[in-house]
Amino acid sequence: MSTQLAGGQLPIEGRLYLAAALILGVLFVFVVRLFQLQILEGDELRRRSEQNSVRQVRLEAPRGEVLDREGRVLASTRPAYRLEVTPNDLSARERTFAALGQLLGAAPAELDEKAGSSRGSRRFRPRVLADDLDFEMLARVESHRFAMPGVHTHVEPRRHYLSGTLAAHLLGTIGEIRADQLEREAFQDYRSGDVIGQTGLEARFEAHLRGREGGRNVVVDVAGREVGDPLLEVPAVPGGRVVLSLDRDLQLAAEEGFEEAPEGELARIGAAVALDVNTGDVLAMVSRPAFDPNSFAGGIDTATWKGLTSDDWDPLQNRALQNHYPPGSTHKAIVAAALLQEGVIGPRTTAYCPGFFRFGGRVYRCWKRAGHGTVDLMDALRESCDVFFYTYGEKLGIDRLANYAKAFGIGRTPGLGLGSEAPGLVPSSAWKRRRFGKPWYPGETVSASIGQGFNLYTPLQLAVAYAALANGGKVMKPRLVLRLETQDGITVKSFPTEQAGEVPVTPARLALVRRGLRAVVEEPHGTGARARVPGVEVAGKTGTAQVVRLDQVEGLKENEIPIRQRDHGWFGAFAPADDPEIAVAVFVEHGLHGSTAAAPIAQRILARYFEKKNGGPLVAATEGGNDESGD
Amino acid sequence: MNPAIDRRSLQHFDWVLLGLVACVLGIGLANLYSASSPGVESGLPPEFRRQTLALGVATIGMLVALVLDYRRLERLAVPVYVGTLLLVASTLVLAPITRGNRSWLIYGPLSLQPAELAKVGLILAMARYFHRNPPSEIRRVRDLWGPAMIAAGPVGLIVLQRDMGVAVLTMLIAATYLLFVRIPARAWAALGAAGVVGLAGLWTYVFKDYQKERILDFLDPSRDPLASGYQQIQSRIAVGSGELFGKGYLEGTQTQLQFLPTQHSDFAFSVLAEEWGFLGSVTLLAVYFLLMIWGLVVANNSKDSFGAMLAIGVVGMLFWPAVINVAMVLGLAPVIGVPLPLVSYGGSQLLANLVAIGLLMNVSMRRYIF
Repeated sequence: MSTQLAGGQLPIEGRLYLAAALILGVLFVFVVRLFQLQILEGDELRRRSEQNSVRQVRLEAPRGEVLDREGRVLASTRPAYRLEVTPNDLSARERTFAALGQLLGAAPAELDEKAGSSRGSRRFRPRVLADDLDFEMLARVESHRFAMPGVHTHVEPRRHYLSGTLAAHLLGTIGEIRADQLEREAFQDYRSGDVIGQTGLEARFEAHLRGREGGRNVVVDVAGREVGDPLLEVPAVPGGRVVLSLDRDLQLAAEEGFEEAPEGELARIGAAVALDVNTGDVLAMVSRPAFDPNSFAGGIDTATWKGLTSDDWDPLQNRALQNHYPPGSTHKAIVAAALLQEGVIGPRTTAYCPGFFRFGGRVYRCWKRAGHGTVDLMDALRESCDVFFYTYGEKLGIDRLANYAKAFGIGRTPGLGLGSEAPGLVPSSAWKRRRFGKPWYPGETVSASIGQGFNLYTPLQLAVAYAALANGGKVMKPRLVLRLETQDGITVKSFPTEQAGEVPVTPARLALVRRGLRAVVEEPHGTGARARVPGVEVAGKTGTAQVVRLDQVEGLKENEIPIRQRDHGWFGAFAPADDPEIAVAVFVEHGLHGSTAAAPIAQRILARYFEKKNGGPLVAATEGGNDESGD
Repeated sequence: MNPAIDRRSLQHFDWVLLGLVACVLGIGLANLYSASSPGVESGLPPEFRRQTLALGVATIGMLVALVLDYRRLERLAVPVYVGTLLLVASTLVLAPITRGNRSWLIYGPLSLQPAELAKVGLILAMARYFHRNPPSEIRRVRDLWGPAMIAAGPVGLIVLQRDMGVAVLTMLIAATYLLFVRIPARAWAALGAAGVVGLAGLWTYVFKDYQKERILDFLDPSRDPLASGYQQIQSRIAVGSGELFGKGYLEGTQTQLQFLPTQHSDFAFSVLAEEWGFLGSVTLLAVYFLLMIWGLVVANNSKDSFGAMLAIGVVGMLFWPAVINVAMVLGLAPVIGVPLPLVSYGGSQLLANLVAIGLLMNVSMRRYIF
């Protein structure tokens, strides 16, 4: 070789020869090695590949259990039996499918098609003919398997949610890992086809629940059939347990509450949250409509998935924390606390309600057309008089009001860790300027003081706010998980209670608001009478959130209003009124009134709570009170 | 700038080079189809489909690289080098963490590993440096500071991405040029010592546990028969059981029963060896290594040192990963996850390698232009 180089003769040809020699040398080494493996040892290695191949079989780890606060299992793992066929091994194809068809009650041709071709590269791959066989079927197949070469059964651990839809949104779903998830660092040691928690607690505690898969090196023949005993077995380690703060009984009560809809109507849609006011423990959390997480456990079928995703009511959405809605009059409890603390009103301050409030040339109506007459704070809360709150809310001003709402936890996500939480919305003049580039108008404060206008709460936020009201001003961070345990019950991590903030209202003033809310449920003319629990004093506040303008449904009877145009019903409550333990928020989407739709559900939850506490059934709830309430 | 190819260049188009490359690509694609078809229920395997698309894009890259006269590229070498560095640096901000690395820019279904393109930037910058400072005049270690700094750019950034395999490969590609410098034996000893210290440092401070495990498993495959030891054992069985003629296309039981993890990328050569036997494997290796030798011929025939140095860099780009990959498959090196250029699955490496081969063609077809 000769190399001509610009700028004079700078021969590198000697080195090029050296490079060529190096390359050829490496090639020589590789060829010698190939010769050694393929020609000298080829016979032996081919035998090993044909008769003595060691294949790695993964041993899936059972997912850890999810328990309620009393140790009752909500989610566990059960064995699922699968019938598989390896096309390559079907030595008597026709006979096998005829026999299988009889056993399974299926057309042989259909099974034949499912099994796929016995030629080509896919013939070694087992195909699933039937998933999740019951024991009887399993026994029948097993007893005939000797006559059906190529057919085998396979057992795998499968997630099992013992109570079906119970707490579905909290528990969440599992599913095959997606390609984009496989790329993430957190899932580094996962492989395509692995099942992971996709939503809810399953996703949040994936690392703890997953366990450690094991492996078995088995000897298989060329057709992939296991031969002899495994060479090596590393058993799978089941995942750890998650102990929730949830109380299964209360959860059940809340869910039953949503099932019982007024006659002729569909099951109710909405959400309910029950909290321990002192710890923030989530005792129950329901979102309706729900879904059955079991349908995801073995890989969801297309029809079910389509049904869930195309459902107008979006059953996969957790309405308790992922959606926010105007709070209606439940907001008045916060307004009342702010009015008292800021000295805008005192306990005996009154307003006259003629049924409307005139401000800035506009008329704001009270839900009670005839008016409430002269009312003080207690009356105004009990009967949910809008005019009282219009009058003084306007004097308080939107920005002071906003500060209090924020202090109660509205406007920020409570941080339950279950995926995207809606933050809610607390309007203020600065917010409006930022959002719309417009100043805040005093008239908007009038609407805002009864919870209409821009205010938005999630049901979880309402529960947190009412818990703060109940416990003397501590805004507790909701706690859904008490601890993580090993499968043997040894605690590996506890989740302490956390206080997220403090409401800047004196205990005495909060007590005044509580008295007003007690009157809502316990006194005649109270709008929340349907939440009464015998033997326990309940405090609460109804709320109705307008969905469309009043004139759009004017003149229609309630049951004539199209469902999507009906108002939302709210109820926020706590009990016992004088020394609260539990706070409840219920939201019924398009439920018309808080008093008739939401309060009874809260009543069920509270009743179940005190039944358990007092160790016996309570007398059936009494009805009465102010049924005509617009709330 | 006039990028058009003149008639004379076309007359001297290197058909041998194109033939060799086409041969390797063809074998690689057919092999990928076999390697990725197990587990696919119907239609083309997704890896195969993606690789075919990537091949289309990479071919365009190759054409672009051969159109522009490489002598003009000398002036563009620095901007291209800096450009590829910036691209790699952008991953540190923009790339999601995937499998512990920040190596991939992902936009919808498209993904790119800029470190692969940085190799092209590196060889351009290296060729420019050694064109201006002929290697035969480099006689002292301190004269190597320049190229060391050039190499440090991409290697450093790739280390920051935590992609150790690619960082080591990039370093080796830069080191290819060492073969052409004339430093004395003492200096080699010094470099060797620095290398050992460097490796010890890597082992202690940089390698993650699993990487150390792999190296230890290579030294003793029975240490961990469930993990990388398993891969090595299975790869050996796959290769050996191919014997002289192989088990036949799509008939490799090791392959089709998926005994080998990552058989479409790192273990693509095992698939070929199993299905095509000794004859097939030697044929691929022969074509592949002939391609490298041909690269040296292009370097030799190049009419200026920039072209020669560029050609040497391209050979380095093909040589090092191939040596490591095949050695790994044949149980001669630890399993360290290096794909076989032009054969293994992977769009970014295909793009980078075909652009580099475009440069090689560029140099070759302009060898008679004065």
